[in-house]
Amino acid sequence: MEIDRGDGRKPNQLRPVACSRGILNRAHGSASWSQGETKVLAAVYGPKAGTKKNENPEKACFEVIWKPKTGQIGKPEKECEMILKRTLQSICLLNVHPNTTTSIIIQVVNDDGGLLPCAINAACAALVDAGIPLKHLAAAICCSLAKNGRVLLDPNKSEEQNMKGFVYLAFPNSIQSVLPEGSLQVGGEPVEHGIITSVTHGGMSVDDYLLCLQRGRAACEKLSVFIRSSLK
Amino acid sequence: MESKPSSSPPNFIDQQVVPGDVVLDLSTMTNQTIKLGSGLRQDGDAISAIKAGVLRFAKPNKYWVESSQKRYVPCAGDTVLGIVVDSRSDNFLVDIKGPTLAFLPVLAFEGGTRRNIPKFEVGTLLYVRVVKANVGMNPELSCMDASGKAAEFGRLKDGYMFESSTGLSRMLLSSPTCPVLEAFGKNLSFEIAVGLNGRVWVNAESPANLILVANAIMKSESLSAVQQKILVERLLKRVQ
Repeated sequence: MEIDRGDGRKPNQLRPVACSRGILNRAHGSASWSQGETKVLAAVYGPKAGTKKNENPEKACFEVIWKPKTGQIGKPEKECEMILKRTLQSICLLNVHPNTTTSIIIQVVNDDGGLLPCAINAACAALVDAGIPLKHLAAAICCSLAKNGRVLLDPNKSEEQNMKGFVYLAFPNSIQSVLPEGSLQVGGEPVEHGIITSVTHGGMSVDDYLLCLQRGRAACEKLSVFIRSSLK
Repeated sequence: MESKPSSSPPNFIDQQVVPGDVVLDLSTMTNQTIKLGSGLRQDGDAISAIKAGVLRFAKPNKYWVESSQKRYVPCAGDTVLGIVVDSRSDNFLVDIKGPTLAFLPVLAFEGGTRRNIPKFEVGTLLYVRVVKANVGMNPELSCMDASGKAAEFGRLKDGYMFESSTGLSRMLLSSPTCPVLEAFGKNLSFEIAVGLNGRVWVNAESPANLILVANAIMKSESLSAVQQKILVERLLKRVQ
């Protein structure tokens, strides 16, 4: 039973991805990431001296500013800022530059579905461009559940609005290692199987969620290969 | 999972690495002391990369990740160009493009005593040496070399300073001499001070020559040696 997606993609097929780094002159690190028509620009400034008031001075502090394409900044933007901040805090090494603040500014250029995963990918590429020390990279993707139970990857805006539910997932990238296979494991599974972030909208059963996770992981492995080649 | 034929582990030397790649396994290298430079972190027995770049190895035992950034990570022993931001009673606060401001003690000059403290205004450009750079502390600078002599450190007068990346600074300071500088040196006379923090200061007799040299250096980061020579030849032909 084949589903007809609006643009003729298969259920597991992602939109064309493009990434470029070092595009802003004044920012210490910058990247633009586009998936299909969704495009996000990320800029990183820092590390700069001093942390905010209630933050731990023994760790580096991150501040995310989300700028939407149009309109004023409201609660949805604050929510995206918080999700992005938590995601980036878990991939960065916080004790290399204690008592410093790194600012990440996300500018939405075009929103055609899957905006938060696009922003996570752009922010990660911008952090690499700025030379901020990272534990590993993050690859993010959106998986959606259609009304008839099929899982579609990377939906665009019109597809997203017709879905029963969708989930934004971020996974660590696949790493190359000189260690023999199977030695870098946490609890019996390789490190790449860990999830960094998961944000769900709508409703889905546990089995559907686990299926989304599986598909998302496989797609993020392909994204990792792309990220690795784009960092050359 | 099908069984793969056992192959030798991948060697990452001179290869591109991304953050997270495990590049060395200490359990296979017993009885060796290795030195880890920038961009590498130890995690138990595995050495992993924390920056994206090319992994380099220098005999006998130094490993580091070479990458080019706009900001600088202070290291002891580096020479950098700093700009004075403020002056206190016992040290000057100097900006060296790092995560924190650096301190330059007021007495860290050749023959410096409490009676002849130099007066640097805010905005003065200095060529200094990083003495100490520890995690969590402000780096300490000095205008003397290790033996206490002035050795060209101090205020840079006149000239033009521009900012670029740390990779360009390392290329300008490499030996044998960088092709751009060598080609200019044969035809023009100019002075140059390169800071490892991505700042470069140039001085020449005429402003036209100065701008020529500065622009050529800024363009030459991504060019190969042959391309740099061709660029310099073209620019000199236009001037002379």
